[in-house]
Amino acid sequence: MTKFKTILCIEDDRFIGEMYVRTLKKAGYDIDWVVDGNDGLIAARNKAYDIILLDVMLPERRGTEILDALRGGKEDLIPRSRVIVLTNFQQDDESRMAMEKHADAYLIKAEITPRKLISVIEKLEEQK
Amino acid sequence: MEVSKPPKTANQFWPDFIKQKITLVILIQITISALAAVVLIALGVFGIDSLVLWSIILGFFAMNLASDILILVSSTRPTKELMAAIINVAGERTILTPPNPNSSRYEKSGFRDALQTIYKLSANREDAESEKSKQKLKQRLGTLIDMLDMTNCGLIAMDGKRNIIYANKSAPIKVGTDGKKVADLIFNGADTLESWLDTCVDESVHCEHTWTRVPDKLPNEEGRRLFDVIASYQKDSDIETVLTLVDRTKSYNVDEESLDFISFAAHELRGPITVIRGYLDVLDEELAEVLKDDQAELFKRLIVSSNRLSGYIDNILNTSRYDRRHLKMHLAEESVASIYDTVSDDMKLRAGAQNRLLKADIPDDLPTIAADRASISEVLGNLIDNAIKYSNEGGLVTVTAKTNGDFVDISVIDNGIGMPESVVSQLFQKFYRSHRSRETVAGSGLGLYISKAIVESHGGKISVRSEDGHGSTFTVSLPIYSTVADKLKADNNSNEGLINEGNGWIKNHSMYRS
Repeated sequence: MTKFKTILCIEDDRFIGEMYVRTLKKAGYDIDWVVDGNDGLIAARNKAYDIILLDVMLPERRGTEILDALRGGKEDLIPRSRVIVLTNFQQDDESRMAMEKHADAYLIKAEITPRKLISVIEKLEEQK
Repeated sequence: MEVSKPPKTANQFWPDFIKQKITLVILIQITISALAAVVLIALGVFGIDSLVLWSIILGFFAMNLASDILILVSSTRPTKELMAAIINVAGERTILTPPNPNSSRYEKSGFRDALQTIYKLSANREDAESEKSKQKLKQRLGTLIDMLDMTNCGLIAMDGKRNIIYANKSAPIKVGTDGKKVADLIFNGADTLESWLDTCVDESVHCEHTWTRVPDKLPNEEGRRLFDVIASYQKDSDIETVLTLVDRTKSYNVDEESLDFISFAAHELRGPITVIRGYLDVLDEELAEVLKDDQAELFKRLIVSSNRLSGYIDNILNTSRYDRRHLKMHLAEESVASIYDTVSDDMKLRAGAQNRLLKADIPDDLPTIAADRASISEVLGNLIDNAIKYSNEGGLVTVTAKTNGDFVDISVIDNGIGMPESVVSQLFQKFYRSHRSRETVAGSGLGLYISKAIVESHGGKISVRSEDGHGSTFTVSLPIYSTVADKLKADNNSNEGLINEGNGWIKNHSMYRS
């Protein structure tokens, strides 16, 4: 089992972004952080990250749109990546279903502390 | 005293008339015969006792009477037939047969025209009258339709084939792809008009049903209205189903707006809480070596408080979604012990921070339950948090579980301050807080309200036993998985099949949740 190494964090809230970067770096991951949806989509396509942390309410392009662009078509454009959707907004049923279909985990940010996030990442590693 | 006789009707005229005339003829003939007898006796033609005299007189009388009656009957015949015709068209009962104007004998005499005139006049009058009553009916119907169109209540009538045969202006109607008119209503979940009608057809002669908050459009669509729908069904009637739709858009919209605001505000609060809880979690580890004992204790309180705050926000969000019928459960096979594990760390921390002891006694051989893991964790969290808050310093809070028929009873027991009867009955109401707790204990008054809603949406029950001054026991009964597994599979693990009330619940369950 190879350990996940690279993480892309797409998060526009500075405090939350910095918190994830700080703790995940400390836990030994290489983490890139972008703050808007367009940059997030470009970054996800340019590099095969092990994990993508995806916020939903993002400037330029919403998380749902990014996920749809990456995984909504015939071909999965990020077959090597695991996507963890992180949001504080509970979605309506339809968009939640769509998100869950394409995401590997769907989490409420306020309930996931960085340490718990790491344990989720580790669980995804086990499932690999 | 004079008694006035009622006026006679046309059908009485003929029998009375002919009776009078025949009596008159008889009297005249008796008089003439008597006069003839007197003359013959006076002239000395016959003696008074002559048999011949009386034979002649009697023969004379009989012949005259017969000829008179013959003349009377034949001369009054047209009158009789005209009367018969008139009485007939007047619609009165009579023994007289109405004359047929097409009879050949009338044709010769020209009497046919007279009869036809009577029948024609009557027919014209009937036409005019029926036209008049038709107009009147139309006018009344028009007024009724105008009235129905003026009201903002929708009214829809359907026949036995569920075709809409009437709908007023306020009724939301759309034309389906097959060109058939249908009620434009979006029912929540499985409790639809069609499914209710299916049950009615199978099981009832007459039944009624009410749905509340039924929209005609999706949220955010323009001109969306919300109705309370009352349906009445009567088997084999011309109009089998009547729907009355009360437009409650205004009052429900106010509710929705305030719920929108509440949920928006709660979501906003989650941003800073994410950071607070996150860094507390990080620092808890990093500062473990650095903090002195009392500082570590204060730090623990920060964690407990931020976790509580997060729990309150979950309660508020769930309440707003429940009130909007937007909370659905995703029920799966779960063990009580594993659900308890998801909250036990946090709850032990809370108990410790307030100098209480939390103990669990959950048997290993307990059957699995059908539960939405995240939601039942919230319920347990709420109950344990309450038990901690309302127990005494150094008190013990125990979580137990046991099988009870088709259910598993999970109890949270404390030996704290307990509650009087008057408080127990109001405990599960929204925003209810007892006067004691208002002064001494923090909380939103939503925890038990939403816990009850969550448990009931599992097809379960929540109950409380309390002794004032001696503590309380809250018990949650949830269905054993094996007893509802088939039903759940049929409903794709949604809770809809388990709830009788038809509350549409949409639970945003997480694939991983703390």
